[in-house]
Amino acid sequence: MSVEVEVNESDLAEMVEQVWESYLDPEGISPLIPTYDENQPSEVHSSVSITGSWSGHIVYSSSRAAAQRAAAAFLAMEMEEVSEEDISDTLGELANIVGGNVKAMLPPGAQLSLPQVVLAPEASARYPNTERISGVYGLWEGEPVSISMWQSNTETKEEGA
Amino acid sequence: MRAMVIDDSRAMRMILKRIVTKLNFEAVEAGDGKEALDRLAELTEVPELALIDWNMPNMNGLEFVMKVRADPRLREMTLVMVTTESEQSQIVRALAAGAHEYVIKPFTEGAMIEKLALLGLVPTGANS
Amino acid sequence: MTLSQGEFTFIANMVRREASIVLAPGKEYLVEARLIPVARAVGSPNVNEFIAELQKRPNPQHQRKIIDALTTNETSFFRDREPFSALTDVVLPELIKSRASQRKLRFWSAASSSGQEAYSLAITLQEALPAGWTFEINGTDISTAMVERAQKAEYSQVEVNRGLAATQLVQYFERAGAHWRIIPTLRRNVTFKHMSLTAPFPPMQPYDVIFLRNVLIYFDVATKRQVLQNAAKILRPDGWLFLGAAETTIGIDDNYERVAAGRTSAYRTRNAVPAGTGRRG
Repeated sequence: MSVEVEVNESDLAEMVEQVWESYLDPEGISPLIPTYDENQPSEVHSSVSITGSWSGHIVYSSSRAAAQRAAAAFLAMEMEEVSEEDISDTLGELANIVGGNVKAMLPPGAQLSLPQVVLAPEASARYPNTERISGVYGLWEGEPVSISMWQSNTETKEEGA
Repeated sequence: MRAMVIDDSRAMRMILKRIVTKLNFEAVEAGDGKEALDRLAELTEVPELALIDWNMPNMNGLEFVMKVRADPRLREMTLVMVTTESEQSQIVRALAAGAHEYVIKPFTEGAMIEKLALLGLVPTGANS
Repeated sequence: MTLSQGEFTFIANMVRREASIVLAPGKEYLVEARLIPVARAVGSPNVNEFIAELQKRPNPQHQRKIIDALTTNETSFFRDREPFSALTDVVLPELIKSRASQRKLRFWSAASSSGQEAYSLAITLQEALPAGWTFEINGTDISTAMVERAQKAEYSQVEVNRGLAATQLVQYFERAGAHWRIIPTLRRNVTFKHMSLTAPFPPMQPYDVIFLRNVLIYFDVATKRQVLQNAAKILRPDGWLFLGAAETTIGIDDNYERVAAGRTSAYRTRNAVPAGTGRRG
């Protein structure tokens, strides 16, 4: 039986906004502009899995250009200086931060996996038996960025807390 | 003054190193608690400050805090957790284990500097 | 950028009028980003139409949503820190002696905004006062949106990351979804009301300490003087007034004199300061 999740879309939106405020847009001049477009294209993505009292994934996906911009902002570098490793590390940490904050709103006993980063479109990822239950979709400097929450549909026993 | 930055995310280590360097700390880093302890054993001078993630492979931040507080040579380090773990019970656990302060991710640079100022680790006039 | 200059100005004026908050220049994109969810939540097709509707016909509910969306992070807990240290180090020890028979203190947080100052005062008092003492903190603000937000006593993770020691966070707050809320036992001592400082003051019981920080700067000299005079009338004779770091009564109201308070200054009414207390600063 899947657990009723107490994390709604505006909670997720707030967490994403705080990530922008803290790391990606500290001056408040370059926010994520909401589009509500669930089918935005993606070129790269990262995710963390949550297990225990709740089961699912938090996924960041965006264009390469947005990912490059995120790494540049996160690491205080110029876009041209950013390496593949920088992009990979940044996307992993972004998924980790949002995932960690989502976890804090779940029933006690949830655990976060290490982040996975794939510099390939989200559609290539395999999340069997999951359903997207929430998402933040927007444009950042004209580039698509999506952060979504996927819940497992499996009827398996909950792993012990 | 020296600050150790301990996080399995290289990107987060870079952010933290940048902040402590701004505050005139010399930064050293480690990717997990075990690596941090090994590094500390090598250093002749113990860093004044450690910024510590919670969830790391090999040895997590909580274990690291406990080990440090139990070691007479390392006891004097100021220990600040920097983590996404934000349940009330987790914060209480970390403080009970001996962490001096706790910063929840995501944090703004200003908030981090203020926390360090609370601990008396910021030279006056260095606040952003 | 879908917001026109006219639309942005309309919104900025509304926020300034209703919440006394000035939207900084350069924040047009942020305003747009914050308004899009509000427009969507009320069923409007887009931000432009949402604003056009408001311009045709005021809608207090929609206005409130806009203000809430655009005025987060306006202030912080223990802002500037030094006045709060001054309370702990200088003011409260003195008041604990002089109020030993009543064992009750009253504080006013004027222009309390979203409430962080008032709750910071509550935490300070809770930590400094001996057992058996009570305290009451009144917060007032010209914005009903702010008063309601302060009453709710809920703050975001980013807001509680600032100004508070971790021990204070776990002791005085409880998690409420994605937010942190001041615990009920502390909230009980703090009440908020709508009030305009530039109008005649309603009847108020005298205060031991008044925090009137970073609000006089918005007024002209005559109004500043009026506000300070009115404040003096409801300040206990040996009470303390704290202004913002860059503010002073000097040149405005002679009735106060500046005294040293820890590493900052405070103001006390001239005739009533007993000799020997509060060095002239």
